[in-house]
Amino acid sequence: MTKIKICGLFREEDIDFVNEAKPDYIGFVFAKSHRQVSKETATKLKNKLDKNILSVGVFVNENINKIAEICNENIIDFVQLHGDEDDKYINDLKKVCNKKIIKAIKVKNGEDIIRWRNCQADLLMFDAGMGEGKTFDWSVLKNFIRPYFLAGGINENNIEEALNLNPFCIDVSSGVETNKVKDKNKILNIVRRIKMSNTRFGMYGGQYVPETLMNEIKNLEKQYEYYKNNPEFIKELNDLLKNYAGRPSLLYYAKNMTKDLGGAKIYLKREDLNHTGSHKINNVLGQVLLAKKMGKTRVIAETGAGQHGVATATAAALLGLECEIFMGEEDTKRQALNVYRMKLLGAKVHSVTSGTRVLKDAVNETMREWSNRVNDTHYVLGSVMGPHPFPTIVRDFQSVISKEAKQQILEYEKKLPYAVIACVGGGSNSMGMFYNFIEEKGVKLIGCEAAGKGLNTDKHAASIAKGKIGIFHGMKSYFCQDKYGQIAEVYSISAGLDYPGIGPEHAYLHDTGRAEYVPVTDEEAVSAFEYIAKTEGIICAIESAHAVAYARKIAPKIDKNESIIVCLSGRGDKDVAAIARYRGEKIYE
Amino acid sequence: MNRIESAFKNKKAFIPFITAGYPNINKTEDFIYKMVSAGADLIEIGIPFSDPLAEGPVIQESSQKALEAGTNLDNIFELVKKVRKTVTIPLVFMTYINPVFSYGYDNFFKQCSLIGIDGIIIPDLPFEEKNEISDYAKKYDVKIISLIAPTSEQRIEEIAKDAEGFLYIVSSMGVTGVRNEIKTDLKSILASVKNTTSVPAAIGFGIHSPEQAKEMSKISNGVIVGSAIIKIIKQYGPDADKYIYDYVKSMKGAMN
Repeated sequence: MTKIKICGLFREEDIDFVNEAKPDYIGFVFAKSHRQVSKETATKLKNKLDKNILSVGVFVNENINKIAEICNENIIDFVQLHGDEDDKYINDLKKVCNKKIIKAIKVKNGEDIIRWRNCQADLLMFDAGMGEGKTFDWSVLKNFIRPYFLAGGINENNIEEALNLNPFCIDVSSGVETNKVKDKNKILNIVRRIKMSNTRFGMYGGQYVPETLMNEIKNLEKQYEYYKNNPEFIKELNDLLKNYAGRPSLLYYAKNMTKDLGGAKIYLKREDLNHTGSHKINNVLGQVLLAKKMGKTRVIAETGAGQHGVATATAAALLGLECEIFMGEEDTKRQALNVYRMKLLGAKVHSVTSGTRVLKDAVNETMREWSNRVNDTHYVLGSVMGPHPFPTIVRDFQSVISKEAKQQILEYEKKLPYAVIACVGGGSNSMGMFYNFIEEKGVKLIGCEAAGKGLNTDKHAASIAKGKIGIFHGMKSYFCQDKYGQIAEVYSISAGLDYPGIGPEHAYLHDTGRAEYVPVTDEEAVSAFEYIAKTEGIICAIESAHAVAYARKIAPKIDKNESIIVCLSGRGDKDVAAIARYRGEKIYE
Repeated sequence: MNRIESAFKNKKAFIPFITAGYPNINKTEDFIYKMVSAGADLIEIGIPFSDPLAEGPVIQESSQKALEAGTNLDNIFELVKKVRKTVTIPLVFMTYINPVFSYGYDNFFKQCSLIGIDGIIIPDLPFEEKNEISDYAKKYDVKIISLIAPTSEQRIEEIAKDAEGFLYIVSSMGVTGVRNEIKTDLKSILASVKNTTSVPAAIGFGIHSPEQAKEMSKISNGVIVGSAIIKIIKQYGPDADKYIYDYVKSMKGAMN
């Protein structure tokens, strides 16, 4: 969540512009400059300023008492020091002034950054100069940990690059001016760009939901931003992951498979060994704990095959929240045992009879129920999809998969893998498997989509291969749809991959070429399901078998010194009867 | 004065909704004429979507049936073009963002302007995402009708400030559909709206009886009714003309 500061306001109309654009901060320059304001002017402007916008006073080597006077009259909410002030000055100022202090540092090279990293100021600002509109070499900021303001020569043309650094706040002044005064349209544009980028991955994502839900998802965003850095929350979640879900999960070297395929070493990330039998528990424990912290007493969730529903019901039972699950009528028939499991865990299961009566319709119905009752209810979305902040929240909670896998593979192999492979429906286990490898450019990221009965039929769920860009379920991404934008009925033997869209971060990874998405048919998946059972003694979920199938294809072509990691997202007990029927045996649960 | 403004001028507007293509596109045309002659001030034409997230079961079912009957954007544009030859009251589309996005924004709004559509309501396009279409809507002079919900609180002012055409005040939590009781404090929502904008505000969601219409029109500039009309079509099918006429007449009558 990058914030935005518009600096150097000195005219009354400047305040009108920002009141309309609503940046997070604005700046008054009290130091000598063509944008300088007197205390009197600043008072007048501050009175006119929208109360939700915080004001920053900019000073250069100013007398401490003079700053204290301006602070005490509440003309400004922050002090920005833009001269040669040192730690002693900052400590002295802290004694007489009750506002937070931002120390601006003129950056010439990386040493300037290192020298100031332990500075006593509350926040740091990195700038090229003093409002001349120059930029510095931003690459020196890579991996800088403290939150900082980025300033100096930022405008509409380099804003994307600036956002990629993920600064705490972006500071613009001359970049939103025309002929040395603030330009309303430039201000509106840059604030809009920054606010939009906070809800998106490139052009994908966003918050396309009914107005009734908007305050709730904004509240969720705010609460999540707080709790994700809250030590107590992190401790509780880690404790649940370790002592309840059974993490870390094993990274298992599949010796027999490796030998049989005769190529790269194959490692399996065993999410199937988690409590409740899949990766879903990682996200659910995080979200249900978050819901509880937010004061919610009830959780609702959609489910396809029932894995996410069972996981949500489990977490709700553990943490003492009321739980209702929405499941397409077709799926309740296909997965009757999971329906009973959820009931055993104390959840109420609603059979969804609208639309095509499968996962997509279950999501619709859960959204409808949420808009009916937001005050005490949190929607535990099961994948990296839906409106912002869900794709980010679910990805963060699932990223534990790649965090562990990366450490484990480095321990075993002393080098990174050649590729990581995972199946993709909405994309939560794959996003979790990819996330910590994204920055490792040498590691291939491969997502396996459900190609069902084949991409040349209409019986598949391959959003990337066969879908087009659209806006649905709160997000802009790739969707299977007809030429009029009606969402298509999709198909896969695997109920967990039977979804017409894909999470927005996957769409972005696809477009930028960072990840590759490949189709895997029912037949290939079933054959891999049987193969891994016979070679490794593991009955994996039919979803995960899509990833195993692709590993079988590529492993023989990869050098023996390389390794690949396949995410086994879940266990396959739930699929045994369906696979038997696929092979012509008359077995029912 | 544009058509939407005149619909609210010196009167309370009655705004019926109809799903285009339910039970078929020719009947939609007939139903629109009936609603106009019974005194409708503005008509909302629903472009059916496969997954209407903000709708209750009644409108969901009508959308599904309409799609099954072969309704699509091209034949809806044809329908409006035909209707516009004689109908002078404002017509607005109500749909979801994906059909509009898929058609291409420029192309969609160009068609709207050519056939005489005055505004558009898109429930899954909140204030934050309005920029998605605002340039195109402006270019072709189609008003974007924004929604305000019982949970909008501090957003009311922000949304109202930017409002055009009219504001759609969502009376209740949840989805569209007939309700016997409306619990939201609509008076205070409308007071905040009126403090911010002179754009008219109409109340929708749940309204079905003449008594409700009368009560709601006292505190707002108009009343929107959807599910109650779709229910009549569900009951009488292609023979619903007379019943629609009588219903619209009774609702409009109650508001005067």
